[in-house]
Amino acid sequence: MSVVDATLGAGYTVGDFLLIVAAGFVVLAIGMLYRAVKGPTMQDRVLAVNVLGTNTVVILAILGAALSEPTFLDIALVYALLNFLMAIAISKFTVERGGVL
Amino acid sequence: MTGTVSPAVAQVTAIEASLFVFVVLTALATAFARDVLAAVIVFGAYSLGMAALYTFYRAPDVAMTEAAISAGVTTVLLLLTLAKTTRIDHEAVFESVNYPAAGAAGLLFAGLAITMVDVPAVGSPDAPVWSNPDVTQWYLAETYAETGVENTVMAVLAAFRGFDTFGEAVVVFAAGIAALIVLRREVFA
Repeated sequence: MSVVDATLGAGYTVGDFLLIVAAGFVVLAIGMLYRAVKGPTMQDRVLAVNVLGTNTVVILAILGAALSEPTFLDIALVYALLNFLMAIAISKFTVERGGVL
Repeated sequence: MTGTVSPAVAQVTAIEASLFVFVVLTALATAFARDVLAAVIVFGAYSLGMAALYTFYRAPDVAMTEAAISAGVTTVLLLLTLAKTTRIDHEAVFESVNYPAAGAAGLLFAGLAITMVDVPAVGSPDAPVWSNPDVTQWYLAETYAETGVENTVMAVLAAFRGFDTFGEAVVVFAAGIAALIVLRREVFA
């Protein structure tokens, strides 16, 4: 029996609690989306999408813990790397047009 | 199952519901963004939500592909394409709604949504794949005699639906050429 199966009370396990925490992070992501959509400048959007990506890495890590699937951490790592790539590509694009990579 | 909501639809957890809201909002923002660069950026956020959703549904391989292709490669390719075209600066954040197009999309969505009611629940023994084993067993039994291919999955891909796979290969070829044009290269090296 792992930690995530331990009972917290009222029939909820640690895994259930972690899933609710992950849902809370998704609700935060919906809030961050406002900045990504509204802008007004591209720098705002790049930062917003970077924060969203970091948030997704956190969500994926929590999901991995809640569902007892350590392989989810690999996806979180891939996302952390790609998030960086995305931010660099969009930043370079806004500074010098044509220079994406 | 006709007319009843399948159990998979009934038990939507908090994380699924919040991810659905996030994905739908990002998809709508991508469709309605007036500025192309803003649409590309919000589309990156959309793929973040989709990857989290795939991960929650225990499909880490699909989530990994979504992360690598949608967030990474697609964003870079779209930006490269934008760099070779003109981007007009707009005052308005959102595009005005094209009602005929929105109506057509809504009708298509409604048509697809009607079919969702009849989709069997995950792992259901009533799913056609299990309730009609004659078809599956025929493929397992006759594949080698019919095609000479030992792997049944490979035989379905390359022999039974070979023209379909050929069409897919043409699409991949066209995508490769388009990527080369955008990257201004002669070969992939």
